[in-house]
Amino acid sequence: MRTFKPLPSQPAPKETVGAVNWIRENFFSSVGNSLATLAILMLLAIILPPAIDWLFLSANWQGVTQADCTKDGACWSFVKAWSKQFFYGSYPSDELWRINLCLLALVAVIIASNVLHKDWRNKIAIPLFLALPFISIVILDGRPIGLSFVSTDYWGGFSLNVLLAAAAIIIAFPLSFLWALGRRSDMPMIRSVCVILIEFFRGVPVLALFFMGSVMLPLFFPEGTNVDKLLRVWIVLTLFMSGYMAEVFRGGFQAVPKGQYEAADSLGLSFWQKTLLIILPQVIKISMPNILATFVMLFKNTTFLLIIGIFEMLSTTQTALTNSNWLGGHATEGYLFVALVFWICCFSMSMISSSIERKLDTSHKK
Amino acid sequence: MSDHRQVSSSPSFFNNPRNRSIIYQALLILGLGYFFYSIVSNTLANMEARGIKSGYDFLFTTAGFDILMSLIPYDATHTYGRTFLVGLLNTILVSTIGIILATIVGFVMGVAHFSHNLLIRKVAVIYIEIFRNIPLLLQVFFWYFAVLAALPGARQSLSLGEVIFLNVRGLYFPGLVAQTGATFVYAAIAVAITSIYLLRRWAKKRQDRTGQQYPVFSTSLAIMFGLPLMALIFTGFPFTFDIPELKGFNFRGGITVIPELMALTLALTMYTGAFIAEAVRAGIQAVPHGQTEAARSLGLKERRIMQLIIVPQAMRVIVPLLNSEYQSLVKNSTLATAIGYPDLFTVFVGTTLNQTGQAIEIVFMTMAVYFVVNMTISFVMNRFNTSVALVER
Repeated sequence: MRTFKPLPSQPAPKETVGAVNWIRENFFSSVGNSLATLAILMLLAIILPPAIDWLFLSANWQGVTQADCTKDGACWSFVKAWSKQFFYGSYPSDELWRINLCLLALVAVIIASNVLHKDWRNKIAIPLFLALPFISIVILDGRPIGLSFVSTDYWGGFSLNVLLAAAAIIIAFPLSFLWALGRRSDMPMIRSVCVILIEFFRGVPVLALFFMGSVMLPLFFPEGTNVDKLLRVWIVLTLFMSGYMAEVFRGGFQAVPKGQYEAADSLGLSFWQKTLLIILPQVIKISMPNILATFVMLFKNTTFLLIIGIFEMLSTTQTALTNSNWLGGHATEGYLFVALVFWICCFSMSMISSSIERKLDTSHKK
Repeated sequence: MSDHRQVSSSPSFFNNPRNRSIIYQALLILGLGYFFYSIVSNTLANMEARGIKSGYDFLFTTAGFDILMSLIPYDATHTYGRTFLVGLLNTILVSTIGIILATIVGFVMGVAHFSHNLLIRKVAVIYIEIFRNIPLLLQVFFWYFAVLAALPGARQSLSLGEVIFLNVRGLYFPGLVAQTGATFVYAAIAVAITSIYLLRRWAKKRQDRTGQQYPVFSTSLAIMFGLPLMALIFTGFPFTFDIPELKGFNFRGGITVIPELMALTLALTMYTGAFIAEAVRAGIQAVPHGQTEAARSLGLKERRIMQLIIVPQAMRVIVPLLNSEYQSLVKNSTLATAIGYPDLFTVFVGTTLNQTGQAIEIVFMTMAVYFVVNMTISFVMNRFNTSVALVER
């Protein structure tokens, strides 16, 4: 009996395999491509060596004063000397553990909400999340729990960027959900109020909102009320974020199939049961990539606070650059460092966002 | 016999959805009413205490401060109303340049993402990921304080053919000064644009009717350059160049672009360009690959596939995204205030507000302007969107 023996498979055509062919395919597939490759390589050859030399080879890594910067390259001593200010602002040195504690708590709650069992997550992680901004304020301020008082004038640096952005998005979450819900409401008054709120906070430059918070808001309160500057900024950031997130949620609402509403109705669930237990989880899942993208925008926009005199990371850098001990023109080093810090944060968040997007996207791709 | 208890089909008063909605909305109106009442009364009391008179009279008083750059004649003797106009024009200028350049950069980089050349693809990805993920204000500062501030002084200016100069004070290039007869050239340009528009319409109609194609692009190109060129030759070139010259410590003549404008434009272009590139990439990716394969099997050339099959479909995804990017560019142009470019925000909310103290009126006017500008962009882009949207039966 003869068994069926398939022929051995043919090797791939010679002109499609091997390093040389790979190079030809990817770099020199046509005249135009060859020229482009050469042009880019030439540009890199011109730019890269001096850049690497300036950044690393002849850079100054030692010392913490300007006098230590003797070589031609970048003066990283500048960044080293100011690193504490960059991250913590002028918060008292002995009390830095409070900021670290708050940041740690933030990370812990984020991790907890990802690893905890779903019953615990709803009962513990979500209330903790919502309480976190207020707990952080209490810890950082110090007065209510008997620690030494640190005025908000001393809060600053990168930790302020992180904490403000986190505090804003945490409160914006429920708020924007309500706005988005209101926008879908059948009640004309509620709908129009929500539409006006959303469109106002989306349509006005965030800088104008900050100015409104710092110039106009004091006029709105009864005479003698003194609302802390940072608190006002937090309110403005939260409302701004809510406007954008409400639109994200609206997209999420539209993506939930109508059958889900009908099924919930036919089970006899009340409006809030339906909304919170059936619709909300699906909306959040669908809009997660966009929520993250919005958060990245908010996080980058916290640097705008420089303009109204809040000492976040970029304005600390500006202060350091004009410090009389460091008047050597270290702008490039300072900005590169701040850029790197922000870039790492924002890039990793956009990576997470696009990986979620890929997971949700089940359409056929090439 | 039977005990028929009457079961009402209508719910009790509070469970009736209609009554409920009326109650909720009434509560909302009451709450809002109280909120606005307290805000207005507080504001009036506060303003009285600070001696601020509300109203728009301040717009007609003399401003008394200079502005770095103005597109219309302005000096310190003009009114606050004029400062509003100067700032508005500067905002429109930087937004327009930014939108045009960002669109070009964005489309080039977005399409480069699909290049056959690995190096070009990587350049596009690196550009997008770097400029998208760094705060815009930082980029503005970087261009202004690190790059442009490092340029040489006026005497050592970088120059291109001794007509374009770049130094720490700004960018100088020759201006065109119109002489008599220039109107003919302008008229020729207008005629060229109109005839191209008519030609395209005619060609499209003819193709729809008969299937015959007309070389619209090359003909348009010929008209666009041919007509004005002919006008130039017939009128004997009625323009003179105003070339910037080094006089004393600075350049005189020509057109000057101040470094603030350059830094802001560069930052807005690179930042928004990265987002537009992402939008273009998403748009092209959203076109199913089957479309390309189908077009190939019909025997279309690669360039025609891009032009006739991919781009028109990708535009449906790209245009709404472009709309929001343009709007955020306009809003982000307020960062001018950080480096002192005299846009609406710097001039009006900055200096004018400081001098007059009319916070409410000024912030209100400024917000209204950004609303109107964004509405206009939205309107134009929505019109454009309906023209590219899928026409379904």
